[in-house]
Amino acid sequence: MARMKFICDAERCIECNGCATACKNEHEVPWGVNRRRLVTVNDGVPGERSISVACMHCTDAPCMAVCPVDCFYRTEDQIVLHDKDLCIGCGYCFYACPFGAPQFPQAGAFGLRGKMDKCTFCAGGPEENNSAEEFRKYGRNRIAEGKLPACAEMCSTKALLAGDAPVITAIYKTRVETRGKGEHIWGWSMAYQGSDKLSDQPGGKS
Amino acid sequence: MSRLPWVAAALVLAACHEIPQDAPKSYAGKADDKAYASDLFNGDKGKFEAALAARAQKQNEYLRMADEKHK
Repeated sequence: MARMKFICDAERCIECNGCATACKNEHEVPWGVNRRRLVTVNDGVPGERSISVACMHCTDAPCMAVCPVDCFYRTEDQIVLHDKDLCIGCGYCFYACPFGAPQFPQAGAFGLRGKMDKCTFCAGGPEENNSAEEFRKYGRNRIAEGKLPACAEMCSTKALLAGDAPVITAIYKTRVETRGKGEHIWGWSMAYQGSDKLSDQPGGKS
Repeated sequence: MSRLPWVAAALVLAACHEIPQDAPKSYAGKADDKAYASDLFNGDKGKFEAALAARAQKQNEYLRMADEKHK
């Protein structure tokens, strides 16, 4: 049984927002709802790091625990989904979620909250797979098509990995073992296998 | 007199465990189709999992570079 997870490699993320754009485009997510977004720590300071954040499909999901109408469920692949027909838009899940994943469209006047929307790991929801109804409520169901989430597949640097936890952790492990870790993995020599001196770079003046 | 630290330690440590406050909750919504129930996999879970595992490996550029070298 698969255990679907995301990993974001902060050493690789270049804050291009490709993942957020891919998600918006794939599911036609309305304005104001961000299923995925970029978070940058120490923005503008040398050594800043960015990570892409969405629903992490927690093994012990707090949103499931607090939902008063029990609209959350977990698929066989351990993806946390919810039934929008049951959601009352109370916002408890938003307060419970440590990642700020649940989103609420402002569906009217007086700050009225619509039904909760969040990352589905591109697995749709409790409607017929790949039906128009499923797309309207939850977005595209790529998992039923044998594909992985659009955000990860679109990621240009492959900073964002998605898939079965043992598979993607093995990919990440290979990566870390090959490149090393820490401050020394930055710079020209790391990227192009040469000298770090500016004069040695192509077109550099001695 | 000598029992006081033990009693104090027992009282302090008594707060170091967590009692489950909520029972596992059941799902009250509609049942969802299995991801592999579509025509593409015809209910074959093994085929579905193999397709996803193969797809996941495409994220491993070290493997892709190795494939390129063998061409």
